[in-house]
Amino acid sequence: MSYLMCVLLLGLVLGLVAVASNPSPYFAAMGLVVVAGVGCGVLVGTGGCFLSLVLFLIYLGGMLVVFAYSAAMAAEPFPEGWGSWPTLRLVGGYLVGVAVARGLLGKNWYEEDWSGFDSILGLTVLRGDVGGVSLMYSSGGWLLMGGGWVLLLTLFVVLELTRGLGRGALRAV
Amino acid sequence: MTPLIYSTLIISLGIGTTLTFASTHWYLAWMGIEINTLAIIPLMTQSHSPRATEATTKYFFAQATASATLLFAATSNAFFTGSWDILQTNNPLTYTLMTLAMAMKIGLAPLHSWMPEVMQGLTLLTGLILSTWQKLAPFCLIYQIQPHSPNLFMALGLLSIVAGGWGGFNQVQLRKILAYSSIAHLGWMVLILSFSPPLTLVAFSTYLMMTFSLFYSFMMTKTTHINSLSTSWAKIPTLTALTPLILLSLGGLPPLTGFLPKWMILQELTKQDLALVAVLAALFSLFSLYFYLRLSYAMTLTMPPNNPAGTLPWRLNPSHNTLPP
Repeated sequence: MSYLMCVLLLGLVLGLVAVASNPSPYFAAMGLVVVAGVGCGVLVGTGGCFLSLVLFLIYLGGMLVVFAYSAAMAAEPFPEGWGSWPTLRLVGGYLVGVAVARGLLGKNWYEEDWSGFDSILGLTVLRGDVGGVSLMYSSGGWLLMGGGWVLLLTLFVVLELTRGLGRGALRAV
Repeated sequence: MTPLIYSTLIISLGIGTTLTFASTHWYLAWMGIEINTLAIIPLMTQSHSPRATEATTKYFFAQATASATLLFAATSNAFFTGSWDILQTNNPLTYTLMTLAMAMKIGLAPLHSWMPEVMQGLTLLTGLILSTWQKLAPFCLIYQIQPHSPNLFMALGLLSIVAGGWGGFNQVQLRKILAYSSIAHLGWMVLILSFSPPLTLVAFSTYLMMTFSLFYSFMMTKTTHINSLSTSWAKIPTLTALTPLILLSLGGLPPLTGFLPKWMILQELTKQDLALVAVLAALFSLFSLYFYLRLSYAMTLTMPPNNPAGTLPWRLNPSHNTLPP
């Protein structure tokens, strides 16, 4: 279990380095997919299985897919991956930065210092965040509706901004 | 913009501020602020010009950064104190970050540089909403932060008075002048916050009334530049007579209302044994007074060259009634 968490966290850091080292959006999107996937794994390991499921569905399966399609529309003939020197330099720089940060701040590096959602040792179906989920739908109903309103408002805002043919803001420019 | 979308955005502006005012949990306060930011974005791009889109983009970046910092501060507060209550911010990291985040939100120096450029790209009505309504929700949160020492607030306040006065000194565009005036007034408000919060509210309410009147008089004469202001005296002569009073009130001259907050703030500062701060604040407000006087000089006190037909606009029927256009 500890070994799995270690591998997942290593994947998280490497994916972060992969995204931050400025490759072409194709490859950066792959880095994002890796980060989201292993991040969900870390969440499951610390007890947030519902959160992990929602993250996978909405973030990976909704937003990242849309982003991948947009990146595909902005195709370039010679995409820059991690084999080109500028990107590799940035990768090296970020790995050094991670090592420095570990040296300076790495007191609570070990897993027993992590406080997860619960203290169940094992991957069961019902973990610590299930209580929070039920609260979200019962006592937190008003806040849920408020959150829904914000999302609907965002939709209206984006629709208004991207109306075509001069009635919106972006096409007129 | 269709009436349905327009009313949805205006109602969301109201909901956002109300939510922040009514909240004791940091998430809800942050949510209200985000609703305000989102709802005003299409209102800012309404004129569909590249300048407006640029102003909207700059505004969104500044506000998103500040909101993210606020969320980080709230989360670290929950980490340190275990409480999401707004009134439980005891950790120095927390209240410093929150103060800086809200300072960027409302445009206090040294985080004020987005304000004049954003205001310049907007119509006067949207600029009015930005200067008045959008300041209410972050101000409510600033009011509730309880720092251990007044140093940060005083530094922000004094810097804002300096930046607002000195920055507006050489401006001819009225919207930029109004942005710098807003920065300076917010500096006065934040200066006295740790010593006497009711004085902050006095300064804020007088600022709201004065800046609303000034924006409105510019809207009625449809002027955005000192050049057009100087030839607008004949449009609504009563307004020409009254606008210097608004301007001098903003500058803080007795016996006008704008003097009241400045007087009481200076008195409170001297009572707290901070006479030097009081002197500096008063001296740098002279810069602001200079450009308010320049505006009243251009509008009312002098008649710049124009052809004789420029003396006749008051004879025509007004193109719109005095309710919001």
